Amino acid sequence: MTVLLVALGAAVGAPLRYLVDRAVQARHDALFPWGTLTVNVAGSLVLGLLTGGALAGAVSGDVTVLLGTGFCGALTTYSTFGYETVKLVESGAFGQAFANVAVSVTAGLAAAAAGYALTV
Amino acid sequence: MSGLRLTILVGEGDRWRHRPMYTEIVHRAHAAGLAGASVLRGVEGFGSHSRIHTDRLLSLAEELPMMVVIVDAEERVRGFLPQLAELGLEGLVMLDPVEVVR
Amino acid sequence: MRRQWDVLAVISAGGALGALARYAMSRALPASPTGFPWGIFLVNVTGCLLIGVLMALIAHVWPGRRLLRPFLGTGVLGGYTTFSAYTVDIVRLADAGAVAVAAAYLVGTLLAALPAVYGGMVVTRWLVRR
Repeated sequence: MTVLLVALGAAVGAPLRYLVDRAVQARHDALFPWGTLTVNVAGSLVLGLLTGGALAGAVSGDVTVLLGTGFCGALTTYSTFGYETVKLVESGAFGQAFANVAVSVTAGLAAAAAGYALTV
Repeated sequence: MSGLRLTILVGEGDRWRHRPMYTEIVHRAHAAGLAGASVLRGVEGFGSHSRIHTDRLLSLAEELPMMVVIVDAEERVRGFLPQLAELGLEGLVMLDPVEVVR
Repeated sequence: MRRQWDVLAVISAGGALGALARYAMSRALPASPTGFPWGIFLVNVTGCLLIGVLMALIAHVWPGRRLLRPFLGTGVLGGYTTFSAYTVDIVRLADAGAVAVAAAYLVGTLLAALPAVYGGMVVTRWLVRR
């Protein structure tokens, strides 16, 4: 049952990441990975809300597994973040690479902390 | 020696009967006895749909451009063009006169 | 968009497979409230190594396979690795008073995962060209 919830959440989260990524990227130049940044920050916010809610007893274990482990886990990605950062480094865009890491981590942590603080 | 250069731009994922389009073009050029053909892989670009493709961003890394270049004597290259017509190519097919130095 | 549905389908299936592998790893290495999250750490580092290997293979060995990158790269590895568990675990650890563990996890993942992408890419390119 739990396994099914993980798969179900991820089956929605992963294609949503792709669609959001492409929609965001279509509105910017193709230099900076805005799309991956967007899904990672949004997913951090939602998982923060869920985790705080679960600790406060307001969110059930099944919902946490479906939306947290499954959906948010697959909506966000470390591998694409890593790949796109390394491609920036390889193309000599060191400033952009550093900015991508700094902004992803800072904004992701801020979003996670905000979500967590709202519901815990 | 002067000749013609035939340049064809295809998408990486373009297919002709389950094989890559660039492979089919090279195969046909080879069968037609042309002097040579090369395929070059592109890393970034956009086409008639104005959508950027680049291997730097994972979600945009589809349909990267591939370029097929063929150089031979004018009549041989022109004689090969009907074989391309039936492939239904969507990208650019270009001819330009070249001088072959060696 | 005429050929989009098959791409979305393989990303969805790949994402589910990747997430199940991540879930298995996090169950095998469960983290205590103030302990280092080794499960997700290993998931993200191995996922980064694999995306480096995969993208080099696609560029140099398997060009022109239209669904391979969406399935394995965007789907499986995207669903396997996660950024939200990384940020939320750091917040959770800091909130539980384990600030040093949170900081080590924050920096340690970056220092292991980013070089893993690069290493996977470079070593694969080297092996392919031999």
